[in-house]
This record gives sequence, C-alpha cells and structure tokens, in this order.
Amino acid sequence: MKRAYALFLLLYPREHRDQFAEEMTSVFEEARNQRHHRGWAWYARFALAEMMGLISGAAGAWLSQATKPSPETSVANEAQSGLPADLLKAQQRVDLITAAMVRAIGNHQFERARVHSNQEREARENLRVLREKYQINE
Amino acid sequence: MRHVVTKENSLDVKPLTEPVLLILTSLADQPRHGYALIQDIEQLSSGRVRMSTGTLFGALRRLLEDGWIERFEQEDTSRQKQAYRLTGAGRTQLQQELDRMKQLTRAGFARLRASEAI
Repeated sequence: MKRAYALFLLLYPREHRDQFAEEMTSVFEEARNQRHHRGWAWYARFALAEMMGLISGAAGAWLSQATKPSPETSVANEAQSGLPADLLKAQQRVDLITAAMVRAIGNHQFERARVHSNQEREARENLRVLREKYQINE
Repeated sequence: MRHVVTKENSLDVKPLTEPVLLILTSLADQPRHGYALIQDIEQLSSGRVRMSTGTLFGALRRLLEDGWIERFEQEDTSRQKQAYRLTGAGRTQLQQELDRMKQLTRAGFARLRASEAI
C-alpha cells in the first residue's frame, strides 16, 4: 500500500512533492496504522478515498501551478503598480480588515468591530513600517 | 451551469470551500499537524468528513500560498510532522465566513418560521 501511495505521489508536480511528499506519506501511514483494526471493508474504503484524493489533489496542484503567475508576471505587476509585493499585500490586508470592520458595525456587532479595529491598528503599523523601509509616502 | 454573482470587492468576498473552512476552524484554537487535523475535522463534522491526505495537503498548500496559515516550528516535531497555525489574515477570513454563515442561517430560519406561520 505504501508503494502504491508513493507511486500516486509521482502524479504531483515536483514542487509539491518536494514540499509535502514526506509529510503526506507520514500522515497517510499514521491514519492507516491507527485504524486498520476496523476491518477490511473500512480499509478498502480508506484506500480508495486516499487514491481518489491523490488523483484529484494532483490535478489541483498542476492546475494551480499552471495558473500561478510566473516570477516575471509578479515583477511586471510590481513594476506596474510601482510597489513591492509585500507592501501591496500589507495594503490589501488593511483594506480587508477595514471592510470587515465596516460590515461588523453595519450589523451592530460592536464587539467584533472592536476586534477588527485592533487588527486594523496592527495592520496599519505593519504597513507604516514597510513604507518606511521602502521610503514610500502614503 | 450555475452562475453565482458576488460583490465585486475581491478582498471582501472570497468564498471558502468546505475543506478550507474545516481546516481554518480546526486551527482556530490551537496549532495542529496533519493527522491531528484529519482527526479533529472528523470530530468537528460528527464523523461526516474524513479528509484524505490528497485533499488535506492540497488545501494546506493553497492556504500557505495565501498566507492564511503558516508552518509552526515546534521543538519536538520533525519535517515529517509539521504543525500549522492560523495567521491574522486567516483568522479574519474565518471570522468573515462564520459571520456570513450566521447571517444566512438567521435569514433561513426566519423564512422557515414565516412559512410555518402562514
């Protein structure tokens, strides 16, 4: 079974295998060893679900790799906006939290809004530090 | 084919798949490694969802890429037993999704009650 699992892992892109193959095999074996006493019917279902999961997971990983922007595209996007990627991400996080806070206030969830307000303060501080680092004004 | 139109703010609305929602919920109270996630998700879903390793690690990869979770260095964990925890961004996403579900649940029950009253 372990050999079959290793073979199915070959369906994944190399990048995914390098990152997760060892850990996936370990989790698979742990799941199998801790439950094998449940009988052959359970084991057959488990093995089938695992193999199907690997096939669909591999398809998803290839799709994700194919649609991931290349480093050249990321550089182009950065160049287009004129801002470094981590700064753009920090700005997006501030926007996301602000939107959540506004929605919470609109729903009269003031406790939740207060939590978002604290998160927003932290996110803005992080943004300020990055702006300082890159010497970019607001 | 089914089409769903959502609000145009992509930062605001990012639909979560069931595996992603279950993983984020499982990590909400403490960091967990792969097999602990599978066990906890099975328990969270009252035995309905037994996530395969392919599904689990596909979702973990996407969550790592999006910065919603991060690998958590534990002294007693090897490379084979990595722990994961929620980031601030992941926590915000989970809160938003749970809010959305709460509103939908409330609206659904209100309509059911209204239809029963007729």
